[in-house]
Amino acid sequence: MCRRFRRAGSPVNAVIAAVTVCALGSGLWLLRDGAGRNAPPQPSAAQAHTGVDDHSGGRAAAPALPPSPPDRVRIPAIEVNAPLTGLGLTRNGGLDVPPADRKNLAGWYEAGVTPGETGTAIIAGHVDNTEGPAVFYSLGALRKGSTIEVDRRDGGAAVFTVDAVEVYDAKDFPDAKVYGTATRPELRVITCGGGYSRTTGYQGNVVVYAHLTGRR
Amino acid sequence: MRRTARLLAGTALAVAVAGTLAAPAYAGGTATPAGRGHGAPAGSLRVHPSSTVPGTHVTVNTSACGDAGPADGDATAVGAGRFALAPSRREREAVGQFRVPSSAQPGTYEIVATCAESGRRVTGDLVVALSSGSSQVPPRGSVKTGIGGALGPDPVQTAAGVAALAVAAAGGTWLLHRRARGDGI
Repeated sequence: MCRRFRRAGSPVNAVIAAVTVCALGSGLWLLRDGAGRNAPPQPSAAQAHTGVDDHSGGRAAAPALPPSPPDRVRIPAIEVNAPLTGLGLTRNGGLDVPPADRKNLAGWYEAGVTPGETGTAIIAGHVDNTEGPAVFYSLGALRKGSTIEVDRRDGGAAVFTVDAVEVYDAKDFPDAKVYGTATRPELRVITCGGGYSRTTGYQGNVVVYAHLTGRR
Repeated sequence: MRRTARLLAGTALAVAVAGTLAAPAYAGGTATPAGRGHGAPAGSLRVHPSSTVPGTHVTVNTSACGDAGPADGDATAVGAGRFALAPSRREREAVGQFRVPSSAQPGTYEIVATCAESGRRVTGDLVVALSSGSSQVPPRGSVKTGIGGALGPDPVQTAAGVAALAVAAAGGTWLLHRRARGDGI
């Protein structure tokens, strides 16, 4: 990348000139590249529901488990291993979120079904906090067929397989699709995503759809 | 001398007041996260769901029995008989399940667990309703799970970039000086 200036003058001058050019180039590169590099990954269109195969997800659904509250969520593909706290609703009826200062804490919707039960269980966590990336920073990089494991208080774990990963604008959030009831054990994992604006923050959510395919 | 004494007394009083004010605040602060995802305060029996309908399964767990202690559960109040709480793989807790009989009447029932080793007795409440009614309201709308803290420039990288530019500036200045003096490049 950096070639020595061999033409004229003393060798010292040539070295100084070479160092100057190197430093200028790498300095500019570092500053430009460092500014916008840390946006969380977003799902591609290929990870969205296809419409044809929505409810098989490639793997057969496992029979439902009895209710047992979850304690941890593990997503090996994106190196997530986080404790779960209980979540309620905000005053507006939206899903509450875990405290933002604990970056490796996710939450589950306590008034809904527990993960593994028949119905739609909901897990949410932050993509980032004031200090940087948080528990679900890489959620948008998850792909169909990935595994999500939820440790349950009864000592077992519910194993889910990802059916789709989609991103929605907050103004156009499909409540029924995300939170609606299901006839088999399903799971949604939600974090912030979509575009980001300095005034309004993240403009939407990344939603992972998964269904129960096993237990441990 | 008297002034010093008064000063000391005043300081001691201030410290004491601050201590009494701070102590409960501190206790409250630590109790809240512990009560949720990780282990209830020792001595209680957690019942989930705490409100249910006849014919469904209920999970109870407690950390009152210590590391690996099993416990005997008693749900006869709600007509579910006795059940066992076994030590859980995780959490250092004893966990058990029972089924609320279809014939259970609405009401609040006390579920009891007795530690096998210590004989300690812990209780929790189970509310049985006739139908789940509106208890399962799904959330609506988007979720506020990020504030953009990951989007700022990486501080280490920025510092490296600035340092590199400083080196470039120093080198450039030095070369210009040499050139001005006629040393040439």
